[in-house]
Amino acid sequence: MTTGLKKSDLAIGMSAPELRHVLTRTDLVRYAGASGDYNPMHHDEVKATQAGQPSVFGHGMLSMGFLATAITTFVGIGNIVDYSVRFVSQTWPGEELVTKISVTGVRDEGDTHLVDLDVRLTNADGQEKVVGSASALVMA
Amino acid sequence: MADAAELEALVGTKTQSATVVIERAPLAFFAEAVFDDSQVYQDATVAEAEGFGAIPAPPTFPFVMDNWGRFPDIQGERVKKGPEGLSALGSVFSGGGLILHGEQSFSYERPVKVGDTLKGEGTVVEAYAKESKGKTMTFIVMETQWRDATTGDLVVTSRMNIINRV
Repeated sequence: MTTGLKKSDLAIGMSAPELRHVLTRTDLVRYAGASGDYNPMHHDEVKATQAGQPSVFGHGMLSMGFLATAITTFVGIGNIVDYSVRFVSQTWPGEELVTKISVTGVRDEGDTHLVDLDVRLTNADGQEKVVGSASALVMA
Repeated sequence: MADAAELEALVGTKTQSATVVIERAPLAFFAEAVFDDSQVYQDATVAEAEGFGAIPAPPTFPFVMDNWGRFPDIQGERVKKGPEGLSALGSVFSGGGLILHGEQSFSYERPVKVGDTLKGEGTVVEAYAKESKGKTMTFIVMETQWRDATTGDLVVTSRMNIINRV
């Protein structure tokens, strides 16, 4: 496990550092290759516009994956025990995506210490893309 | 489009069975694709220094890992194509309309790591329909349990909620 958070350093309402990323079409192509998701809505502008979309749009799982990057940056790699999201809206090339993570609880389960997080990905205007929760192991 | 009885009968349907080997390159590539520049995913010496016996996978890698390392020679039984065995659902989505990935969750017993061989068994755990604003919304929840192929220990459970709006 990478060095995680200390229970004594955590308080409800505390926020994790934001990560920001301006989404590009190249990002969508890279995620298509890395995931094996070749739905043309995510890389083929012609097919996407024929289907009535303004352009190609991001994979929901890319949004969830980027938000996971922000979570592990905060809690340490290997420490997440639960991670759950609801997909709220599409992401578009040119949008800046922003991660918002805050502490909602700090608890013990036997000898195990956990932090509960509210996790969100929005654009720069605050429009929600994915919303969810996560729990991670922390040190005493 | 399926009626209530057909949906009820779907619960318990096996959606996939796959054995996957976790290899270093796809995992490192995936980390870059989700904008994670941690050297833990790229450099084995950094992973080791951080206390990992092997390079760990990014949290959402279990969703895609059967696109990698699902080689014919390690499959014991039938293999379903498609994301988490969507094709096993048959005629449920035959009424057309939008198919949306509504929700996704992962519960981890331990991180997936390079060198693992994992066996995933997927089942439909919920299936129901709701009327909303003159549209029929069909909800299917599929769960895949990934276990260490050698020990049988549960490693990660992936849950996917698919919505079809007709």
